[in-house]
Amino acid sequence: MTDVAHAGPARSRTKPRNALRRLLAHPAGSIFLVFALIQVCCITWALLNPEEFRYLSPQNLAILMRAVPVLGCLALGVGILMIAGEFDLSVGSVYALTSIVMAVQVSAGMSGFLAAPLAILIGVGIGVLNGMITLRFNLPSFIVTLGGLLFWRGAVLFYNGAVQVRFDPEPAFTALFAGSLFGFNAAFLWLLALTAGFYLLLHHHRLGNHIFATGGNRAAATAIGIRTKRVKIIAFAIAGGMAAVAGILASARVGSVQPGQGTGLELQAIAACVIGGLSLRGGRGSVLGVFLGVLMIHTMTNVLLLIRAPGFYLEMFIAVLIVGAAILNQLIEKRGAE
Amino acid sequence: MSGTPILELHSIGKRFGALTALSDLSFHIGEGEVVGLLGDNGAGKSTTVNLLSGIHRPTSGHLSVDGTQTLFTCRTDSANAGIETIYQNTALVDSLSITRNIFMGREKTNRLGFLKEAEMREIAMEVLNSAVHISGIDSPDQLVGDLSGGQKQAVAIARAVFFKRRVLLLDEPTSALSVRETEALLNQVLKLKAEGVSSVLVTHNIYHAYQVCDRFVIMSHGTKVFDVAKADTSIGQLTQYVVLT
Repeated sequence: MTDVAHAGPARSRTKPRNALRRLLAHPAGSIFLVFALIQVCCITWALLNPEEFRYLSPQNLAILMRAVPVLGCLALGVGILMIAGEFDLSVGSVYALTSIVMAVQVSAGMSGFLAAPLAILIGVGIGVLNGMITLRFNLPSFIVTLGGLLFWRGAVLFYNGAVQVRFDPEPAFTALFAGSLFGFNAAFLWLLALTAGFYLLLHHHRLGNHIFATGGNRAAATAIGIRTKRVKIIAFAIAGGMAAVAGILASARVGSVQPGQGTGLELQAIAACVIGGLSLRGGRGSVLGVFLGVLMIHTMTNVLLLIRAPGFYLEMFIAVLIVGAAILNQLIEKRGAE
Repeated sequence: MSGTPILELHSIGKRFGALTALSDLSFHIGEGEVVGLLGDNGAGKSTTVNLLSGIHRPTSGHLSVDGTQTLFTCRTDSANAGIETIYQNTALVDSLSITRNIFMGREKTNRLGFLKEAEMREIAMEVLNSAVHISGIDSPDQLVGDLSGGQKQAVAIARAVFFKRRVLLLDEPTSALSVRETEALLNQVLKLKAEGVSSVLVTHNIYHAYQVCDRFVIMSHGTKVFDVAKADTSIGQLTQYVVLT
């Protein structure tokens, strides 16, 4: 009927809009746009005023690369769990506990190459425990892992008291996790590799599909025969394991472990995920989004430090970023549901 | 009708506390047969569907599949018997694509568990084009959340078709559909019948049922009041039974 007459002009008018809409429909679309915009601004500014705004100086880039991996690892684990429809608030404490255990064991003569897998094993174990309690008693994981946050922070002090521990493993271990390769920080390369691995797992592997299905509509996933409890426990285990990995990277870089380290990191990790477009209700999100969310938090921190803004600006800025991102996600999800 | 029925209900009773939802209900579904399960609101149709899909357990009586007595204790038991239930509010994940929904839980993967995406996409496209012709779905990459009620149902049927279910339980399938979508759905049921797939059409709409069903089971107050082949009845008689009993 009238379709033919309208097809020509209508299509040319809507095409660029559709491209934008499709980008925004991608879970990481909006964060990608905002991130790209900020990078363009920062880089332009840095090129115009290289003396005042040292954003592109090698020192600054090195600082960024060293800072990103810890939050990156935590956020990847927390992100997978959020897509499966659960939260983990205990990762900051698990990060501290596994680091302390590893450092104490290395001081007692254990090889770093044994102590690190032990730390990951403990992290995975705590994750599985969180999952079992959550699912067995049908509780909100928010509450269970809030308990975890306090319990494992206490366990750090119980295990080794409120003292700093030196972490001094064999040089090969330090080189592997805190050295550099082609000018890139090793920890950053680990993060890139892990991000790639998680991307494949979540978006191109059966388990990832089950994680999305479980978080997206648990009843449907169960009806079709997916073992949703098992899927959730695996996601909890990944979150715990990644907290330990973050601990390994941080300890190898700093060379010591503080009992109080990682306080508040669990919230930053969730913040990175929300900024990266993950739904708080589960079932929606992407690994790219999580990665960009982490970079975003660190870029903003970095920029505010470079322009010597007082510390409280930083927290206020991240707060605005989180709430803004959550509003944006809500709008996108609502439009999808209509 | 030749051979043993695929699915048979033997004097099934179901009580919810003081409420008797079903009592002494018996009927069967033969191979390649389309059975219309009719009845007014509260006749026990939904309870029957839930029972056949393994959500409820009968209080008395039993089921048999291919002549062998069984009991469905969960959804998986019923799925293993080849029964797929298609609800109005069907079991799909809105945030995933059509392809991912069709293969949800039964993904095609290589030995390491990585998804064979191109292959699954191709099959999804083929199933959507050939098996279920519903307007408005132009790509298997569309998110299910963006589809209409009828389109979602079509995806659920496509899934059942592809995984070669023997019995489709369609619970009020036409109530959310447009006229054209209804027509497509009923044709689909007939096409599946030609391939040997049985269907149970649970509906209010006697006209829709009369179009495709071979036999009618009319329920009232939790039990069967009439069981008749299409050749021996008329729309008028069916209406009378639904209204008057």
